[in-house]
Amino acid sequence: MRFVLKTSYNRDIDVFRDRVHFFWYFLLVLVMLIAPLFAGTYFQSQLTLLFISAIAGTGLMVLVGYTGLVSLGHAAFLLLGAYVHTLLLKYHIPFVVSLPLAAIACGVFGMIVGLAALRTTGVYLAIATLAFAMIVEQVIKNWKSLTGGNNGLKVSDPTIFGFDLQSDVRVFGLDSEVSIFYYVCFVILVLVLFLIVNLLRAPTGRSFIAVRDSEISAQAMGVNLTAAKIRSFSLSAALTGIAGGLMAHQIGHLFPDSFTIVDSIKLLMLVVVGGLGSVHGVIFGAIFLILLPEAISVLKGWLPQAMVYRGGLEPLIFGSILILFLVFEPFGIYGRWQKILLYFNQFPLYRKKTFKRQRSFLRTERVH
Amino acid sequence: MLIADNLTCSFGGVKAVDQLSFVVNHGDIFSIIGPNGAGKTTVLNLFSRFYNADKGEIWLEDDNITKISASAVAKKGIARTFQNVELFERETVLQNLLIAQHIHRTTNLVTECLFVGLARRQEIRFRETAEHVIDLLHLEQYRDAVTGSLPFGVRKLVEIGRALCLRPRLLLMDEPSSGLNPEETEDLGHWIEDINQDLDVTIVMVEHDMSLIGRVASRVLAMADGRLLTIGTPKEVENHPEVIEAYLGC
Repeated sequence: MRFVLKTSYNRDIDVFRDRVHFFWYFLLVLVMLIAPLFAGTYFQSQLTLLFISAIAGTGLMVLVGYTGLVSLGHAAFLLLGAYVHTLLLKYHIPFVVSLPLAAIACGVFGMIVGLAALRTTGVYLAIATLAFAMIVEQVIKNWKSLTGGNNGLKVSDPTIFGFDLQSDVRVFGLDSEVSIFYYVCFVILVLVLFLIVNLLRAPTGRSFIAVRDSEISAQAMGVNLTAAKIRSFSLSAALTGIAGGLMAHQIGHLFPDSFTIVDSIKLLMLVVVGGLGSVHGVIFGAIFLILLPEAISVLKGWLPQAMVYRGGLEPLIFGSILILFLVFEPFGIYGRWQKILLYFNQFPLYRKKTFKRQRSFLRTERVH
Repeated sequence: MLIADNLTCSFGGVKAVDQLSFVVNHGDIFSIIGPNGAGKTTVLNLFSRFYNADKGEIWLEDDNITKISASAVAKKGIARTFQNVELFERETVLQNLLIAQHIHRTTNLVTECLFVGLARRQEIRFRETAEHVIDLLHLEQYRDAVTGSLPFGVRKLVEIGRALCLRPRLLLMDEPSSGLNPEETEDLGHWIEDINQDLDVTIVMVEHDMSLIGRVASRVLAMADGRLLTIGTPKEVENHPEVIEAYLGC
């Protein structure tokens, strides 16, 4: 078991526990930076997809994992982000401006949904956000002059100073081509994680957590519930909007049903399976979400033909996994990971009941 | 310091608090007693602004706080603990104490996201306050423990610590001794006196344990069915015929 001697408050505030801790993350970043040199085109595009999912996942994690508000309508923000970004590009607004603008537009819409969501929680909020997603889809479908309706919208290539970001570059001396867009997404993901990790160790992030764990005592601590919820919603929407904008380039041609309820559920699954209330969970969840379809396609080779060709196999597996996680590991992959770490930390002394779920004491019932 | 003037609060046909008037002086340990359903917690919830008063006014020194929002109450310097403990259960003790310092924040969203010097200095300041409280209440060994997994007695103490992190002028406590064993109650008496005298915090507490009240309270208010019975020293109230009648019904 390793103890870290903290000799100043700064050490406790720092994101990285010590140099060893920092080293591993540094190594991870380094590996991700040189990976495209050795990985094929397919692997690169899968990793790009992982980064984009992680950005959207971070958005939803802030809302669900940290503020305790459930949204089934995040596909709407993906769609909004994608359309705003694409339309701005169409009118020759540069990539570096249009992506933040798309985020701001989504943030404003998030604020509006947040306002509507103030009086509802739990299942009711989930349904309200679902309704919002339907509205967005229908508006985009019918506002033909702007969005092209069902014919969709072609996404122009992202450029910075005339340089095409979606091009593949052949690196001298190597056979494989390196996708520039991979790096764009990676840098944005690292930036997003940096901002969110900082926010979560500051008063705003803590006010989200306060709202999640007990609204009544959050108020008694001087946290303005309205402000915290609206802030969380709009931040979440803005991040998801960025992911939507990036995803538009991956898709190439946008349709009103490019992002549907299935994507909302997938995102929700990302945060639940990854681990509610942890930033690591977002990455674990994104990896899981990218690997699952691969695993399913491998599985298809072993299953009887009748099962493979009759649709519904994928939703069945997705749903079962979600239920299994909710029942057996509510804190997701990250929760399991921490338990494994603890097991080795306390090796011969690990107590089985450490994480036994206990009945919590009665909450104040008199107030409400 | 705190004035309740003709407070009335009813739920449907039930008058939980009925024309209640009293004054809490600066430095008091003011205890509210009464049988179950007397409206004691309702009085605290009125002060915390969780409930709206139908009639009457609440004054904190020269501020009328009858109509301010529940989150603004903390900014006026009023902290609060709950009967059944309302901690942020998935967070550590330290995090709970940090959350409580929300009202003292000087940063905004941008400086927090970038975590520039201002935000870092603020975090250090918050931690110093939290460590002071941890030191005061001897919570060192629980600093990094998740509050949901702590024994009830410790949770109660953490909740008091969390309230102190607001650096309040007035502390409202709802049955601080409920669920504690005799030794813990004994300790609690000492904490309450320390908080009152060393930190100069005026305390209003709802309490059932008469021995605790006799030891620490400077004044006691007895109420039944939402109405005031009497106010006085613990001895006076204990022997007041109407109080005895309210408790024993004879």
